[in-house]
Amino acid sequence: MAVKETAQKKKSTLHHGNDWYKLDLSAIVYPTLQRRDFSSVYRLSLLLREEVEPDTLQKAVDMALPRFPTYKASIRKGVFWRYLEPNNRPGPFVQPDIKNPCMPMPFKANNRYLIRFYYYGNRISLEAHHSLGDGTGGMCVLLTVAATYLRLKGYEIENGGFVKDIHSAPEEGELEDAYMKYANAKVRPPRPSEKAYHVRGTKEPFYTLNIVDGIMSASEVMAVAKKYNATITEYLNAVLLYALLQKQEAEWHLRLKPVAIAMPVNLRRFFPSNTLRNFITMIYPSVDPRLGEYTFEEIVVHVHNYMRYYINEKLLRGDITTNAATQSHPLIRIVPLFLKDFVVSRFYAAVQDQHSSAGLTNMGVMKVPESMKSHIERFDICMGQPFSRRTNCAIISFEDVLTINFASSIIEADVERYFFRKLVKDGIHVKIESNREREE
Amino acid sequence: MSYCVNCGVELGGGLEECPLCNTPVINPKELEKVTVRPAFPREKGQAEPIRKKDMWLLITVVAVVTAVTCVLLNILVYDSSPWSLAIVGACALLWVMLIPATVPLKFPVYIYLFWDGVMLSVYLYMLTYMTAGQVWFWRLGLPFVILLTVVAEVFAFCMKHLPRGFLVTALYIITSIGVICSGLESLIDLIVLERISLKWSAIVLTVCVIIDATIVTLLSVKRFRNAIRRRLHF
Repeated sequence: MAVKETAQKKKSTLHHGNDWYKLDLSAIVYPTLQRRDFSSVYRLSLLLREEVEPDTLQKAVDMALPRFPTYKASIRKGVFWRYLEPNNRPGPFVQPDIKNPCMPMPFKANNRYLIRFYYYGNRISLEAHHSLGDGTGGMCVLLTVAATYLRLKGYEIENGGFVKDIHSAPEEGELEDAYMKYANAKVRPPRPSEKAYHVRGTKEPFYTLNIVDGIMSASEVMAVAKKYNATITEYLNAVLLYALLQKQEAEWHLRLKPVAIAMPVNLRRFFPSNTLRNFITMIYPSVDPRLGEYTFEEIVVHVHNYMRYYINEKLLRGDITTNAATQSHPLIRIVPLFLKDFVVSRFYAAVQDQHSSAGLTNMGVMKVPESMKSHIERFDICMGQPFSRRTNCAIISFEDVLTINFASSIIEADVERYFFRKLVKDGIHVKIESNREREE
Repeated sequence: MSYCVNCGVELGGGLEECPLCNTPVINPKELEKVTVRPAFPREKGQAEPIRKKDMWLLITVVAVVTAVTCVLLNILVYDSSPWSLAIVGACALLWVMLIPATVPLKFPVYIYLFWDGVMLSVYLYMLTYMTAGQVWFWRLGLPFVILLTVVAEVFAFCMKHLPRGFLVTALYIITSIGVICSGLESLIDLIVLERISLKWSAIVLTVCVIIDATIVTLLSVKRFRNAIRRRLHF
């Protein structure tokens, strides 16, 4: 009976006969933005309490990765859409970490794998192309690999949370395109249309990504956020908006523009799904300095109200429906891929990218099995290279350690400076780590 | 444990200066450097080069097959004129122009531009077999290709070795347009009138000179830039 059930379960996971996977709604866009000097790559890192052994890590990757078929995949071009194909080539191979994370990821390089594993001291890092999945999916892969690594080192680690059982077949829900399941609102709310302020700065040469990590106590941040009657996300959003406003004021502008943040919302919180692929949508908290000068307290209230209004099941469903409408339109579906690429990349650069001044994502508190906690020091997250000249901010916390990561491809660190100085001013102790260094 | 005196943040991972404000970290009590493993490695990564061999093979096969079949068609079926020369030349020209994108060899851009110029000249020469004479080639086609190649080489040199901002690039482009237009009209005049008598290209050249002068002024006089900024602010 049990054998029959397993067989049935396995059969149900054979998505498209296990030959290929359609890209999900978000994943369709990311490959079209691919340039020689840009890929939508994010990085998740885990700092263990001991030095990482590369050989054991490689074994762990080899053992754990087949559990995630949509990550052990390569991207291919069809006539109308791209798709994912299982990749049985050797790899991905773990490699020593580099100074410039989230390098562009050409689809045909690295044996066609769209993930990379790095090690440095006690840090294990996973870099994944966004067309495979979002941060939640990537975190499942990273933590499952880390749990397998620790098991190979002789520790007892149980499954649960982000750690999947590497001996079980993936559940059907893990591979699904959850967007299409919930894109069923009767109306399609319009997308934001106003152009936002864009940070001015000197572009770094190719292959340079400036990272500034701020490490602090989660409880300290929580206490300060509470003082403003806000959550951690709302408070940090407000600090970033405040920093961007200061930056805009410090520059010379013919006319001021609204300052907006592109913030991905994890839809799994609102729609039941255990997909490991993309399941996020964007919201754009913003402040318009043309309406008058905002105090920090006013920005916090504004962000707080914005979040309350927009982050709910109804409006998010409407947002998914708006996004899905384009993909499911019969006329758009029959347009050849090269034309879609041409139009989408130009639309993104001219319209979509103009809606925000910076990106901010909060992965929230990482929940790991109890037996794994003692082996982990902290997590790091990097949203990756920004599409245009700006800075991306990513937040993650584990136990009492909250890490805020800024990734930018411009030389000036003004936004980061305004941001962290505000935290320090609010009484939060911030420790900074960075790969920035001035060339002699 | 070091703190930035400007920002108030603790600096971890052996940072020698604050990454937020570039203030150097100096501990008067510890002037000797303490070796701490940096938070990020020093080595930079490079993306793996993509194999271009397959695309090069495909383009070569398509170009060769197109050329050969057209020649055969010209010899065996439609043999009234050597029209296949135009196709063969176009295939060869396209193949040479696609070399930088397809062949996994790395030459300086000047070499690629030189090949493009040579191939374009050869193509135009092949076309002379389909026209009444070769005069247009020697007196207009070839000199114009040489002019185009020289301008392209100079443009590439400027983009590579001289400053490359938005305004400077505009300066290079406008100057190139002016030179090419006046060169073209001069060559046409030499054929038709046997002397140079610039007309339409003189207008283009004038506009280019005005734009160039404006750009050069904007680029060179900082005081001028600031005055415009001061007077336009509101």
